[in-house]
Amino acid sequence: MPDALAWLRRRLVPTMLLALVLLPIPRAQAQQDVVTLDWTLAETLVALGVTPAGVAQRDAYHAWVSAPRLPEATVDLGLRSQPNLELLASLAPDHILISPMFANLAPRLSRIAPVATLPLYTAGHQTWPQLRELTLEVGRLVEREAAAERLIDATQTQLETLRHRLPERVPPLLVVQFMDERHVRVFGAGGLYQAVMARLGLDNAWHGETNAWGFSLVGLEQLAGLEARLVVVEPYPVGVEAALADSGLWQQQPSVRDESLVTLPPVWSFGALPSAQRFAEHLVAALEETPHGN
Amino acid sequence: MATEAAHRQAPALVCLLPGLALLTLILGSLAEEGLFDGLRALTTVTPTSAEALVRHYSWWPRLAMALLAGGGLALGGVLMQQVLRNPLAAPTTLGVTSGANLALMAATLLAPGLLLAGREWVALAGGGGAMALVFALTWRRGLSPALVVLAGLVVNLYFGALGMVLLLFHQETLKGLLIWGAGSLAQNGWDDAAFLAPRLLLGGLAAWLLLRPLTVLELDDASARSLGVSLKHLRLAGLGLAIFLTGCVVSVVGVVGFIGLAAPNIVRLAGARRLGPRLVWSTLLGALLLATTDLLLQRFAGTLPTLIPTGATTAALGAPLLLWLIPRLRLEAGRPPNPATTLAPRHPAPGRLATNLALGLLAAIVLALMLGQKAGGWFATLDIAVLEWRWPRMLAAAGSGVMLAIAGTLIQRLTANPMASPEVLGISGGSAIALIAALFLLPAPGNLTLVAAGTLGALTSLAVLVVLNRRSGFVPERLLLSGVAITALFDAVRTIVLAGGDPRSQQVIAWLSGSTYYVDPVSAMLVAGLAVVLALAAHPFVRWLDILPLGAATAVALGVRVERARLSLLLLVALLTACATLVVGPLSFVGLLAPHMARLAGFSRARAHLLGAALIGALLTVLADWLGRQLLFPAEIPAGLVASLLGGAYFMWGLRRR
Repeated sequence: MPDALAWLRRRLVPTMLLALVLLPIPRAQAQQDVVTLDWTLAETLVALGVTPAGVAQRDAYHAWVSAPRLPEATVDLGLRSQPNLELLASLAPDHILISPMFANLAPRLSRIAPVATLPLYTAGHQTWPQLRELTLEVGRLVEREAAAERLIDATQTQLETLRHRLPERVPPLLVVQFMDERHVRVFGAGGLYQAVMARLGLDNAWHGETNAWGFSLVGLEQLAGLEARLVVVEPYPVGVEAALADSGLWQQQPSVRDESLVTLPPVWSFGALPSAQRFAEHLVAALEETPHGN
Repeated sequence: MATEAAHRQAPALVCLLPGLALLTLILGSLAEEGLFDGLRALTTVTPTSAEALVRHYSWWPRLAMALLAGGGLALGGVLMQQVLRNPLAAPTTLGVTSGANLALMAATLLAPGLLLAGREWVALAGGGGAMALVFALTWRRGLSPALVVLAGLVVNLYFGALGMVLLLFHQETLKGLLIWGAGSLAQNGWDDAAFLAPRLLLGGLAAWLLLRPLTVLELDDASARSLGVSLKHLRLAGLGLAIFLTGCVVSVVGVVGFIGLAAPNIVRLAGARRLGPRLVWSTLLGALLLATTDLLLQRFAGTLPTLIPTGATTAALGAPLLLWLIPRLRLEAGRPPNPATTLAPRHPAPGRLATNLALGLLAAIVLALMLGQKAGGWFATLDIAVLEWRWPRMLAAAGSGVMLAIAGTLIQRLTANPMASPEVLGISGGSAIALIAALFLLPAPGNLTLVAAGTLGALTSLAVLVVLNRRSGFVPERLLLSGVAITALFDAVRTIVLAGGDPRSQQVIAWLSGSTYYVDPVSAMLVAGLAVVLALAAHPFVRWLDILPLGAATAVALGVRVERARLSLLLLVALLTACATLVVGPLSFVGLLAPHMARLAGFSRARAHLLGAALIGALLTVLADWLGRQLLFPAEIPAGLVASLLGGAYFMWGLRRR
């Protein structure tokens, strides 16, 4: 017996020491472990300085939301609509954040950790107040209330600064994203772009119906006749730019004819405050560059 | 003489109605800014007037495109139906559109450069490739019509499943293609019309040249051969031309359903018997139908926040028309059923075979429970905390596999048709439509709501089936065709929803691909329990199932009350399908495959067939579920998709071998 004990001491103690070294060092600030399925919530978390333990569809997040980047430590959870539950359970998070889109997963997810459903882009709600509320709520859940307040203040200050940088008399803008060479999403009431433009004091030329996410899928012909400066949000689908060069209708658009068309780098159309900041930054920079359409 | 003349005029009268409607719509639209200005915009560009610009670059080309596309599709449809001697052959049923769709998706993701070189060529290559596959599968059997349609169906489902996988993982990148898949006729210049017109003209000319030889195909194979015609080459030429026509149209405007199927059939019903008049009138009617629908849509859809694509809408409107048409189609009713025993010899000891299968199933279950992956890599475990996630899915997969297999066995024996499957009956489609509606119309629906909606949809489509088929005494062919129509409606609804680009559609895609993901322990037990109960319920029908494949006449002679037997079996099939669909979605191949594989393995009497199919069904779904969870870890490929990919490959291999 004493032999066995001695052996244990000889073998076990170094092993345990090694394990202690390899274990993550306790972080200076105790962080709540959160995972999220929703990219909008993911970008908010990262903006608050939180490292999400897991986010669904990491690669696609980087392709479509692009900034802020997800930290290396964040694990890919699989598809947004069907995250890998076994993997999720093995991460043992403290909170799971979802949007109402994934509400039907809530019962299953709540077996792993408390689920918080945070609404954004719901019909009949003002986008900007909802954005602020979402940010505060996320901040509360991860115990970063101060950071959330700071993010909101920073965004508002930034928008205020950008507003003063705008050239005078900007015509109404028409913000579109190409789906193929004949169809665009045009962004209007209820969407992120519209909310940002309203705070910048810019007019949106699209007054047509939009869905809960604030866009409408239309053919190019429906844009004809609108007195507006066109703003195209990238990416262009493959081959569309070449096709547009031959498109009679597109070439006759006033903004295309006088080359006042504005092109913006990709911004997540259904994002939260970080996306709002990026959109505002890009938009104002582009408008400054070519202040007058003609 | 008078009736002869009336017969000759009937197709013209049929065309007159949409023609007048179209004329009214055109005049009504032009009158908005003055008839003269509207007409002048056709030829001249007035950069200062937005209305004139839209007329010139969008409205007129769109009208021209609708006429061209409708005509081209209808012409292609007539050719296909003539060659295959099947009134229900169409580009969509033969895999052309799904081949084109898959090629475009793959090109978008893997080689975008190809799209720059010419999108229509990618689409044509894909459609041609799919059709070539169909030809390759059926070449040895002399491209026999029934087999070509069958191979087309399988290729269609297979490519559809592959496309679904791509869509599941790359929804954001492929959203433009979803619009293409729904067939939008929106135009912004004359380029596309200028591309299409000469090609269709060429196709029309070739059809005229082929007119006389193609007429020979109305005879049966032996008589045609005795006239010294090479049937293979003739069919190849006819089908090739049809593909060229539809491929050209589809590559430009996207998938436009139904016109190619409806126009030729309406013209035929109106009394055009000979091929020549049928070609002419169908082309005209197709053009008029599509243009009229499109103008009507432009009138009403402008106020909606989303695009209502014309192609999918014609398909949706077409489904009820198809249901109306089916009782009026002349189908070969007296055809003797396929002899049931030609597939494979009977196994000498089905009992032993079943025991071996059961052992295999057990091994698969143990494997599926123990082996898995986590962030670090593979691991085997018996930890209850992990198994807790796995066993409900495994159980539900097995249960739905059993149910689909039994449903498939029942319906294949009921219709004496080895190609029948519960998915084809449209019950899955009906419950899928209801589910999509629930996802989109209700705020944050829970699982219980979704299940209720799905069941309601399944029951509704069952009711439609019963009402439509009661009078004809549930004739198998009619029944299957009604199912095809309901499935077409489901397809249209799905396409419209996906094309809109609503972020919620990701969930629809996930569910439609058939996943055990949404199963919890309670529902898993429920599914397994239902599978056992319904499997036992199938037991008393064994005698009927042995007799029914021999044909209705034999069955009556043996004292079976055929109509009652068919109705009760049908109810059972519906119930089985609805339960399984709620778990694995409407796309799986299991209901088609398991009975078939059981047959090939040598289970030939009804009782053994049911047992063997049930075991194979469970084995298939359990393996598919496990594979789907491992292949692209951490992302999961839904079990229904994996099953159809595995099953489809096996099926094509079997088809080639036969």
